[in-house]
Amino acid sequence: MKKFNIKVDGVMHEVEVEEVGGSMVAAASYVAPAPKAAPVAPAAPVASSAPKAKAGSGSVVAPLQGTVQTIKVKVGDTVNAGDVVAVIEAMKMENDIPAVASGKVTQVYVSNGAKVAAGDVLLDIA
Amino acid sequence: MSRKLTELNELKLKLRSGGGEKAVEKQHSLGKMTARERLEKLFDAGTFVETGLFVKHRCTNFGMDKKESPAEGVVTGFGQINGRLTYAAAQDFTVIGGSLGEMHADKIVKCQEAAMKVGAPMICINDSGGARIQEGVDALSGYGRIFYNNTLASGVIPQISVIMGPCAGGAVYSPAITDFIFMVENTSQMFITGPQVIKTVTGEDVTAEALGGAMTHNSISGVAHFHAADENACIEQIRTLLSYLPQNNMEKAETFACSDDLNRLSPELNDIVPENPNKAYEMKDVIRAVADDNVFFETQSEYAKNIITGFIRLAGKSIGIIASEPKAMAGCLDINASDKAARFIRTCDCFNIPILTFEDVPGFLPGTQQEHGGIIRHGAKMLFAYSEASVPMVTVITRKAYGGAYIGMCSKHLGADIVYAWPEAQIAVMGAEGAANIIFAKDIKASENPQEERAKKIAEYDNMMMNPYVAASRGYVDDVIEPATTRKMLIAAFNSLETKVVRKANKKHGNIPL
Repeated sequence: MKKFNIKVDGVMHEVEVEEVGGSMVAAASYVAPAPKAAPVAPAAPVASSAPKAKAGSGSVVAPLQGTVQTIKVKVGDTVNAGDVVAVIEAMKMENDIPAVASGKVTQVYVSNGAKVAAGDVLLDIA
Repeated sequence: MSRKLTELNELKLKLRSGGGEKAVEKQHSLGKMTARERLEKLFDAGTFVETGLFVKHRCTNFGMDKKESPAEGVVTGFGQINGRLTYAAAQDFTVIGGSLGEMHADKIVKCQEAAMKVGAPMICINDSGGARIQEGVDALSGYGRIFYNNTLASGVIPQISVIMGPCAGGAVYSPAITDFIFMVENTSQMFITGPQVIKTVTGEDVTAEALGGAMTHNSISGVAHFHAADENACIEQIRTLLSYLPQNNMEKAETFACSDDLNRLSPELNDIVPENPNKAYEMKDVIRAVADDNVFFETQSEYAKNIITGFIRLAGKSIGIIASEPKAMAGCLDINASDKAARFIRTCDCFNIPILTFEDVPGFLPGTQQEHGGIIRHGAKMLFAYSEASVPMVTVITRKAYGGAYIGMCSKHLGADIVYAWPEAQIAVMGAEGAANIIFAKDIKASENPQEERAKKIAEYDNMMMNPYVAASRGYVDDVIEPATTRKMLIAAFNSLETKVVRKANKKHGNIPL
């Protein structure tokens, strides 16, 4: 068994080296320096100008990321499930967004031209 | 003899009454039928033949030796549906909660094996509280044997799972392996861990229906393929589905008499695609227009609506449909749509059902959600499934067919036998605007009036590339057809492909990216 001092990245390590075939008492007093954490880029948030509202059972949500072309209803309007309440332009297509339930529009969260992400609540129906 | 006969009749009567009057009453009060009532409805009247009525459990633990379990809590047998042999096992919730033990499982396993031997569809109606805890690992072994047989039978006989009560824990994996799952609203649930466990482990509050009810699995998870308001409606759906499927992988689905004119024109299709490419239309209208008697039987209608899957008949023959739906999310391809399509393509392929693809696809949905969710891996499934399929495949490009999505949706390059395009088709690497911005970037930048130059270049590209004729000139499209004639063109195409044979290299199986 022989002892060596080894310098790695400016850090001194004391190691014991044993000749192959020798007795198996290898034990390095080497302690690995904690690896430096690689810088992690934060996940880019999806661009969205819509205020975040919590989706309820009567919430109409954007099925995909895009731009609100028109909100066809206003607070107080009565709608039937399946009525087109908004149009979102995405994938170069005007996507009709239907009402998820029948009832009165109680809240509209976005206005024309707003950028929305998938899952953003557009309006509530109760 | 008469004494023995009376004894037999009495015994059978007792065994057939399941868990007794009270339990049956409770089942009815929940809007559920008993196992035997369900089978009676499902099979053609009077054709169901029960097997294994006398089977008993062998458990002696925890007082089970004194517990009777008529028919071991599951009714098994065979009969006819639409006049064709079909096997079924229906769990009986009135008998020890339909719990699954060694012998209960053994009955189902025997039924599966019988169905495989003769090549007939197998239907399993699930209504069970889960494993019979008293039987311990014997119950687990039972589940394992059922899953194993489900896997062996996959692609050999159609396997249908019907959820008409609870189906929780390990039990869900038998349905999950089968071809189609039916659920009934409000009375059926599927989950790995129930609301109580979730509450203890994560603190989350959720009802069983919201967690794993019919609508949850039909619209959010994509686990189930059909939902019905009640059990009768559900059974009707099963009978309809079976009419589109063959008995096994060596046969073709039944050909029905067709009274709809094979050369019928659909003039409405000439105007269905809006002139403005940013406007949507309903692809289901196109599907119905070409189908026999305008009938379309849709599968997974609530899940990944941007792609449509289901069955129609053309000249009386069963055809599987994969179609973009411009009305939903612009008809783009995303993770869920790719999964849904890939699975359906493989279902059709293993049961010799020709595939008809209607394409109007703007591309894959962009976004971090999609990329991080593995759209590369999921989209690959669809490409793999199409390329692997050896059934007749015909594609109709109704409008957009851009880039990778064009290749992916059963292009000539992936093995489509015949590709038709409508005159409105735009088969290109991307939309005109995007393409012009890249190709003419320098010209546009150098121009004195970039706006004007850009518009000019977009128009130039649009004029030159956004049509079906470039692809047709290369032979990637076999013909550009008048939309009104689509039905007769499809019937001719599929007719020509009746005897299609594809020879493939011998291998164990491909390695579809899952």
